[in-house]
Amino acid sequence: MSKARNGPGTGGKPRRDVLASLKMASMEGFSRASLPAEIMASILDYLPPVDLIRVARASKLLREMAYDDSRWVQRLKRIGCWDESDARKHAEKNFGTISSRESVEGEGSAVPDQASSQPTIEVTSVSDGFDQINLSSSTTKSLVELEADPVLGALELAKSIRGEARQEYGKIHAALAPFYNDITTLGPSPDNLISQKYADPQHQAQLLSQLQAFAKCDTTEGWEGRLEHLQTAVSMFETAVLKEFRHGYETDDIDDRMKKYAHVLFTLNGGGSAAELFIHHNHIITKKSELGRLGDCIDALTQKVNLAQTQLFFTRLSVAFNEEVSIINRAFPPLLRVASPFIEKVGRDVLYPFITAIFDELHHSNMESYLIAVSGTFAQCMNICDVLLPIHNSADSFDELLHQAIYQVYEPHMDLYLAEELDFFRKGSEAAVGEWDRQLSEQAASTESYLMSNVNRQADKRDFLTSFKKVIMAPVNILPGFSGAKSNEQKSDQDSLGHDAALTPKTNRFSTISSPSTPPVAEAPTNELAAKAAIMKSKMEGIRSLFSIEVALGLVHTAKSSLERAAQFVGIGGDTGAVVKQQCESIFVTLLRILGHGHLIQGFNKAVDHLSNYRPREQGNHDQSGVEPLVTFLELVNVGDLILQMIDVFYEQELIGSKLTDRNDFLDPAVKEKKKFEQNLDERVAAGLNKGIDVLMEEVDYILATRQHATDFNPGASTDPHRPTMDVSVTQAAAAVVDVVSSHTQMLVGSTDKSTLDVFNQEVGLRLFTALCKHLKRQRISTEGSLKLISDMTHYFKFIQTLKNNELLIYFKAFRELSQIYLIDASDAKELATLIADADRFQGIWRVEEVYEFAERRVDWFQVKRDVERAMYGFGCSVM
Amino acid sequence: MAEDNQNMLSFLSNDGKTIDVPRDVAERSLLIKNMLDDIGPVTEAIPIPNVSENVLNKVLEWCTHHRSDPPSTGDEDDSRRKTTDIEEWDQKFMQVDQEMLFEIILAANYLDIKPLLDIGCKTVANMIKGKSPEEIRKTFNIQNDFTPEEEDQIRRENEWAEDR
Repeated sequence: MSKARNGPGTGGKPRRDVLASLKMASMEGFSRASLPAEIMASILDYLPPVDLIRVARASKLLREMAYDDSRWVQRLKRIGCWDESDARKHAEKNFGTISSRESVEGEGSAVPDQASSQPTIEVTSVSDGFDQINLSSSTTKSLVELEADPVLGALELAKSIRGEARQEYGKIHAALAPFYNDITTLGPSPDNLISQKYADPQHQAQLLSQLQAFAKCDTTEGWEGRLEHLQTAVSMFETAVLKEFRHGYETDDIDDRMKKYAHVLFTLNGGGSAAELFIHHNHIITKKSELGRLGDCIDALTQKVNLAQTQLFFTRLSVAFNEEVSIINRAFPPLLRVASPFIEKVGRDVLYPFITAIFDELHHSNMESYLIAVSGTFAQCMNICDVLLPIHNSADSFDELLHQAIYQVYEPHMDLYLAEELDFFRKGSEAAVGEWDRQLSEQAASTESYLMSNVNRQADKRDFLTSFKKVIMAPVNILPGFSGAKSNEQKSDQDSLGHDAALTPKTNRFSTISSPSTPPVAEAPTNELAAKAAIMKSKMEGIRSLFSIEVALGLVHTAKSSLERAAQFVGIGGDTGAVVKQQCESIFVTLLRILGHGHLIQGFNKAVDHLSNYRPREQGNHDQSGVEPLVTFLELVNVGDLILQMIDVFYEQELIGSKLTDRNDFLDPAVKEKKKFEQNLDERVAAGLNKGIDVLMEEVDYILATRQHATDFNPGASTDPHRPTMDVSVTQAAAAVVDVVSSHTQMLVGSTDKSTLDVFNQEVGLRLFTALCKHLKRQRISTEGSLKLISDMTHYFKFIQTLKNNELLIYFKAFRELSQIYLIDASDAKELATLIADADRFQGIWRVEEVYEFAERRVDWFQVKRDVERAMYGFGCSVM
Repeated sequence: MAEDNQNMLSFLSNDGKTIDVPRDVAERSLLIKNMLDDIGPVTEAIPIPNVSENVLNKVLEWCTHHRSDPPSTGDEDDSRRKTTDIEEWDQKFMQVDQEMLFEIILAANYLDIKPLLDIGCKTVANMIKGKSPEEIRKTFNIQNDFTPEEEDQIRRENEWAEDR
């Protein structure tokens, strides 16, 4: 110990000082028997008001402490009838603004002398005058009101005035304490003071609710017991009133009994119990079995949903609902929130079990019916919202509430439904394609009749597409968001449709199969489409073996109905809404995959295979004017384009039109898939065309080789004595070649995009040119025959002109010029030489040597050769 | 020894008695706690000048019983119901004569032991409850400085509190 004491001893001075201050503190000024004022104040905090007043009577100091306004404000706050802002307003009105705050603060102590004839000395100076005015006015005013209903309005009459909290509390205490004490001391019983004094349950309720508030400022020992008594009394009262309320509801005594007791309960404690009782014992729930039976809604034989029956259910539900709503509107006070719990309850207890039962049943038995039921009932639900009466206190949010309730009911079904929808669609379309494939392979061996027509394809296609668009748009038309521009467009389409249809019979070779009579505009779009489909089908018969437009149409229809069923649920919003959107997109993606990759692309692949395996010379039959596989292929391109446009329309209408997807979102799976599909199609078309050109040229070569007679351009060699002289008509071969080529190129017009077409034409032209060059070099041409050659060349030239390709034109112009070298008579060898040497004449397409080669094909070449060469090179002379 | 210094303190009452106190018990007093926080370890006896040995013992008895109470959450908020309920042990603890009760309250006030002060106040409040003004004066040793008129006026002003 001594060591420890030595330690601080050296540097202990400051530390000792700290303790010294403690030592110096003393208790002077306190009387042993009494307590300092601050402690007295906190003791008073624990006193009930009655005792507080008694303390105030003990001495002036204690009175000042007991009268302290903040003490009473505290109590009023606890009861819940002190409004701080009101108090501030009042204070400002009477004492000016913050600048005179001191006087407001001082007021607490100034209060005791209100209305006193002998103001005490210590307070007079502070704010005496103000208080007088303030109090006299407010007391008279409140007295008038209190006289009207002194007890029942006790809490409402209480004012928030600084400096008068004690008086205000006094009034409340005087009004309520007798009842409070009665209940708390005697315990709850039917013959409490309340029921003796007030017979009207409305008044009793008001008093009880005030007592509950008043009880909050009872803090003295045993308050828990007292509060319990009060609660019991309240709940006894509540039970009795609820019983009356329920009785009123059951006996349909709505306007009188129900209304009265609903208001009583509302006054007592907000009426929550009334609303709860009403909702739980509601007729609509107890009688829900009468609304409709599950058995009615499902056809026992076909296991199909009977939407008319469900509609009946919903109508009955709406009638019942409206009845209940009118009860709510009549019986419940407007401030009581009955609407949302009621709607929720109906949704949960009536709607949910019903549709769940239907869905479960159907899900087991009939998938398609299940899908129809889910979306159908949902639509019916939404429709019914419009006929429901609004509950008056929730006018703004009523629709929202209803929709919310319906969404809540449907939400649990969504996941399953969407999965099934997609699955159903995929299975359905795969089956359709598979079935078609199977049928195809069965008849693959049977003869395929290739048909070719000069029909104006573009017109036909537009015609068909218009009908298609109409069908796709038909349901959308109902929606309000339909823009006027679109309907105009549709109208003009219709005009052109009539025009086209009128044209079709003239151009259509197959009018016997199905006469495309102009469809009356009034006809239902579906029928119209069916008719068009039939026409198209007959026209496209040639490509039946590869893919079918009917199948495509069927798929698009299925997709459309699936999509429209699912799209309804987008409105649910939130996560579910996003999932629904996703599902809609994936339906579209599935459609593209199955239709595009499964059906279309495979058809194309097959066609390309056909083309590449085609050997015209191996086939004996060449009567036809077309190259069979190429014709098929070009038809295919047409149909492919048609389907592509169909899908485009579908995409615009179903996905963009109903805002399921964003056109500009290039990451969107639907957009990506569509792009991919288009790309794929283009690729196939390009590949096919490539092969097609090869085949076409082979055919050209073949025609030239077989049809061109040696005497065509060299009539002199003919053995036929009756040969006509100076025949300037086109040779058979040239006519055949132009026919073949032009018929094929024309088939493409309007079916692929312009650039593809240009490339195709150019390639065809160039290849034709080379083929002709080669061909020419095999012929012998006399001067007489040259006339025929020139007319041939002009024929080719004219054909190339129709292709509208300037670059190609140059080649064939050169050809025309070239043919003149055969026309020059042998005697004019020099002229011939200048012609050959004149490279500009041939637009630089051939070098002089090449032209020379052509010149060699003259029948009389060996006669003129010397002269020509001499004229060209000038060496002949020197050699001679 | 060094460790004992950390955990034991000694108080010196105003009548010169030294009392050894475990540190956590002593720190129920905010006064002592703040002082120790400020000046670090103290080895000599801390003088408690206003409190006599028997009162100090009584206070320390309370502190020992409540040594593991959670620290008070500062100022009680107004919204909480201030009740006069006292837990049983404290009620028994406060069964002392009035002079001792007041001494304890004063000591708690001086040493800044809020819970003990509260209990003391509550006990006094319960004591006052139901007493007449004259009895109250006696209890607190107060002189009646009202004139009869003044006293009458207070009664009139607060008629609502008259009889229950």
